Amino acid sequence: MLVVSPFEVISIFLMSILAGLVGAVFGLGGGILIIPFLTLVEGVPVPYAVGASIVSVVATSSASAATYVQDRLTNLRLGMFLEVGTVLGAITGAFVAAFLAPGILLVLFGILLIYASTIMIVGRRVDFPSGVVPDRISRRLRLGGEYFDPATGATSRYEVTNTLRTLSISGISGIVSGLLGIGGGIIGVPTMNLLSKVPVKVASATSNFMIGVTAAASASVYFVRGDVQPLLVAPLMVGVVVGAAVGTRLLRRTPPLRVKLLFAILLVTVSVAMILKGFFPQIVL
Amino acid sequence: MDLNRIVAQSLRVGVLVSAVLSLLGLSLWAFGGFGSVSVPAVLSVGVIIGLAFTGDLTGIVYLGVIVLIATPIFRVAISSIYFAAERDRAYAGITILVLGMLLLALYSGAAG
Repeated sequence: MLVVSPFEVISIFLMSILAGLVGAVFGLGGGILIIPFLTLVEGVPVPYAVGASIVSVVATSSASAATYVQDRLTNLRLGMFLEVGTVLGAITGAFVAAFLAPGILLVLFGILLIYASTIMIVGRRVDFPSGVVPDRISRRLRLGGEYFDPATGATSRYEVTNTLRTLSISGISGIVSGLLGIGGGIIGVPTMNLLSKVPVKVASATSNFMIGVTAAASASVYFVRGDVQPLLVAPLMVGVVVGAAVGTRLLRRTPPLRVKLLFAILLVTVSVAMILKGFFPQIVL
Repeated sequence: MDLNRIVAQSLRVGVLVSAVLSLLGLSLWAFGGFGSVSVPAVLSVGVIIGLAFTGDLTGIVYLGVIVLIATPIFRVAISSIYFAAERDRAYAGITILVLGMLLLALYSGAAG
C-alpha cells in the first residue's frame, strides 16, 4: 500500500493545476508533465503514476471535448471511426505494461518527451488543406465534414483521405497511451492533420474527443488491476480540471518561439532524467 | 435529437461529478485527521458504493473514478443508439464495436 502524506497531496494538487495550464499553453496533454513529476519528484512507482495520470487524462479530455463538440469543431464520425484503433491499442498497451519492467517504461517515456519537444518546435501543420481527394472508405463512411472557424467567420468544407493508414497509426497512439498514461494527442493530431488532411483545428478537437474514450479504456484496466491510488488520483483530478478550465479561458495565442524553445529544453532535460532513472532506479531528484 | 448537444452535456456532468466527489473525499480525509488509506482487495461497484456511504476516502474517490470512466462509455452507448435509430448501419456497427471493447476492458481486467 502506498503511503501518501498530506504535503504530497497538496503538492500534487498544485502541480496538476500547473500541468493543466502549461499543457493548454503549449498544446500538450497533462499526462506528459504529470508522469515525470510523479515518478521523478514524488518517487511514485511507475504503475501508480500511469494509473493516476490516465484517469486524469479522461477528466481533462472530457472537459475540453465538451466545449469543442458544442462548437461543432469535432468531426464525430471520424473520431468514432478512429476510436476502433485507439481503443484496441489502449487496451493492448495497458495489458502489456504490466509485463514490462518500470525502467523500460521510464526510458520509453523519455524518448516520447524528446519526440514531443521536437514536434512542438519543428512540427508542421496545415491550417486549410485544399484539393484533397477522399479515398474509398472515406467516401463510404462520409468522413468529410465542415466546420465554422470563428477566426475567419466562414464555414469551410474539408475531405478526409489516407483512412486506413490513419487508422493504423491511431492504433499505435492507443498503445502508447495505454503503456505510458498519456492521451496520445501528440501523435493523433499531426497524423490527422498531415496524413488525413483534416484542418488542424478540427484535428485537435477530434483528437481530444477520442482521447476520452481511449483513456477510459486503459483507465479501466489500470483501475481494475488496483493501480489507481485514491490519494494520488483525487488531487490530480481536481487539479487538472481547475487548470484546464483556467487555461482554456486564459490562453488563445500560441507562445513565441523563444518561450517554446526554453520549454523544449526543459522537456529534454526531464527526458534525460527519466532515461537515467530508467537505467538507475535509485536516482531521486 | 441533437447528438452534439447530448454528448457535450453528458461529458460535462460526468467530469463535474467526479471532480466534486474527489474534492469531497479529500476534505473528509483532511477533517478526519489524514488517517491511513486502504484499497479493498476486491473491487466491485457494490463494495465501492457501500464504502462511499460510510464516508471512506477510497470509496468516495473510487465512485468518482467510476463515474468518470463511465462518462465516455456512456457517450459511445448513446451514439450507437442514435446511429441505430437513424438506420445508419455502418456507424451503429462501429460504435457497438468500440462499446464492446470498452466493456471487455472492464470485464477482462476483473477476471484477471
